[in-house]
Amino acid sequence: MTSIRRQLLFGLLVVVVIAGLVAAWGVYLRAHRELDELFDYHLKQMALSLRDQSFEQLAGEPVELTDAFDFVIQVWRPDGARLYFSHPDATLPNRAQLGYTTVATNEGEWRVFSIQQRGLTVQVAQPMSIRNRLAAAAALSTLAPFLFLLPALGVLVWITVGRGLKPLAAVASAVKARTPAALHPLPEHSLPGEIQPLVAALNDLLARLERALTAQREFVADAAHQLRTPLTALRLQVQLAERAHDPEERAAAFATLHQGLGRATHLVEQLLTLARQEPEAVQRPPTEIDLAELARMVTAECAPLAETKGLDLGVTRANAVTVRGDREGLHTLLANLVDNAVRYTPAGGRIDVSAYRETGQAVLEVIDTGPGIPREERERVFDRFYRRAGNEMPGSGLGLAIVKNVADRHRARIVLEDGPNGVGLAVRVLFPIP
Amino acid sequence: MRLLLVEDDPMIGASVQKGLRQDGFTVDWVRDGQAAELALGSESYDLLLLDLGLPKKSGLDLLHTLRTRGNVIPVLILTARDAVADRVKGLDSGADDYLVKPFDLDELAARIRALLRRRAGRADPVIRHRELVLNPATHEASFAGTPLVLSAREFALLEALLDRPGAILSRAQLEERIYGWGEEIESNAVEVYIHSLRRKLGADFIKNVRGVGYRVPKG
Repeated sequence: MTSIRRQLLFGLLVVVVIAGLVAAWGVYLRAHRELDELFDYHLKQMALSLRDQSFEQLAGEPVELTDAFDFVIQVWRPDGARLYFSHPDATLPNRAQLGYTTVATNEGEWRVFSIQQRGLTVQVAQPMSIRNRLAAAAALSTLAPFLFLLPALGVLVWITVGRGLKPLAAVASAVKARTPAALHPLPEHSLPGEIQPLVAALNDLLARLERALTAQREFVADAAHQLRTPLTALRLQVQLAERAHDPEERAAAFATLHQGLGRATHLVEQLLTLARQEPEAVQRPPTEIDLAELARMVTAECAPLAETKGLDLGVTRANAVTVRGDREGLHTLLANLVDNAVRYTPAGGRIDVSAYRETGQAVLEVIDTGPGIPREERERVFDRFYRRAGNEMPGSGLGLAIVKNVADRHRARIVLEDGPNGVGLAVRVLFPIP
Repeated sequence: MRLLLVEDDPMIGASVQKGLRQDGFTVDWVRDGQAAELALGSESYDLLLLDLGLPKKSGLDLLHTLRTRGNVIPVLILTARDAVADRVKGLDSGADDYLVKPFDLDELAARIRALLRRRAGRADPVIRHRELVLNPATHEASFAGTPLVLSAREFALLEALLDRPGAILSRAQLEERIYGWGEEIESNAVEVYIHSLRRKLGADFIKNVRGVGYRVPKG
């Protein structure tokens, strides 16, 4: 698991170490340059001071020089014979060029200065390692505070980040305390700016969840309540069937019992359909659907029922027009509309199903010669379980709610109007066509 | 006993009406609150069976109107609302009893009988008058210890007369008690039933007040 605290700590420490190293390297280079100048000057001074010496008497008597300033001095006569060599065991080139040079030997690099004066060649050499060592010491002294700082910085970062993240832990425990029954918003006051958007988003989610849950709860309560009605009827009908004395009476009782069962079944089926058409529940990919074909299909399916009720059900207009959507959902939509028309239109009536295109929209239309819906009720009929007063037909009160659900999902509009000549009902579902 | 049933669901209404008729009640059935008000205004009922979720005028509104007008008719609420708060509200609005759907026909009939009994000021589920014993629950009757065979209408007529012994009930009132809406009332029906009852119970069990009606003298 990634930890902000650990990442931050690691990152900071790495940066501090790199900064320390860079600083040390800088100091090293700078110190080296200064040492170079200083020691080069020393070499030169030493060579100059030596040129006036008489080396004849010094020959063979090496001078003890301090270790720290290991200067090696050689003097040659003009004929090339070495007049003086301070450290005979040092391996140095014989007679390098005049002026400053850096010479690599198998004992490391040497800095060499040679000068000629009155036929004598004086050469002073010093190992580079001395300069390196001194420069490194300077660099180390620069690095030291950084190294001392590291643990302190680590502890400081650890504590500060921990304190900074404390609100996050508080938010986490607050979120943990939320249950489906208690989805009240998280406290948003005195939060660091970095966490505020997260908490705001969470609160938004909680609010939406609560709304969805409330809707769901209300729906379940509604559904249970609505199921009571057909169940009450069934219970009474069963009792009447039990009480029946003669076969004729019993047959009649069973016939009503059948109707009651049919109604209860229809309600349960519609509840299921509604649940399946909930926008959250549908995950089928949209396909191209020919509305004319759909109209013919649904009409054919509903034809037998319409015929037994003595209704003239048919397709009047079926122009090829396609919409993008959920085939099953649209089938449910049209089937519910036609079923409603069949249910409420009295015998001898007529039901026309059409599909056509009209100024930028695709239209599914069902027109019946039934009782229609009064203007003032046209909004409310889409509510779940809304049943019109004095309605003799045993409906579930869910048909149009299902239709609306599907239409909403397709961004379609439903228009309820009087049928032609003010008779019956005309339902139009208008789909936008891009 | 004549009851008014207010229920908007056609299946439940039909079944309750049929079941209660089998139990010997006379049941008129209306579908909404307004129709119920009309019926209550024009006919006299012994008890009101009231659904709460009614179109046009809700059951509670109807009950409230009834009680403010001083109507004391026993009211039994039949509803799918089963929360305690709903029941309390129903009873506090003036209902005498509360039955939650789905209910049992026998329980409904028993509660109706209990309410009618209480209204008549009786604690005994069995109606006794002199040597006559009537059991509204079983529709059994006996006179002087011997079982009596009574038709449903005869039983209803007797029950009506014994509701308040001594009170005179007109022929029309009696007809109203034993016939619901749409039931064909044969002419002279009341006279025929009275005649038959007198044969079974003795001539002076039911007295005729000429030009006014019939009464059962107080025990």
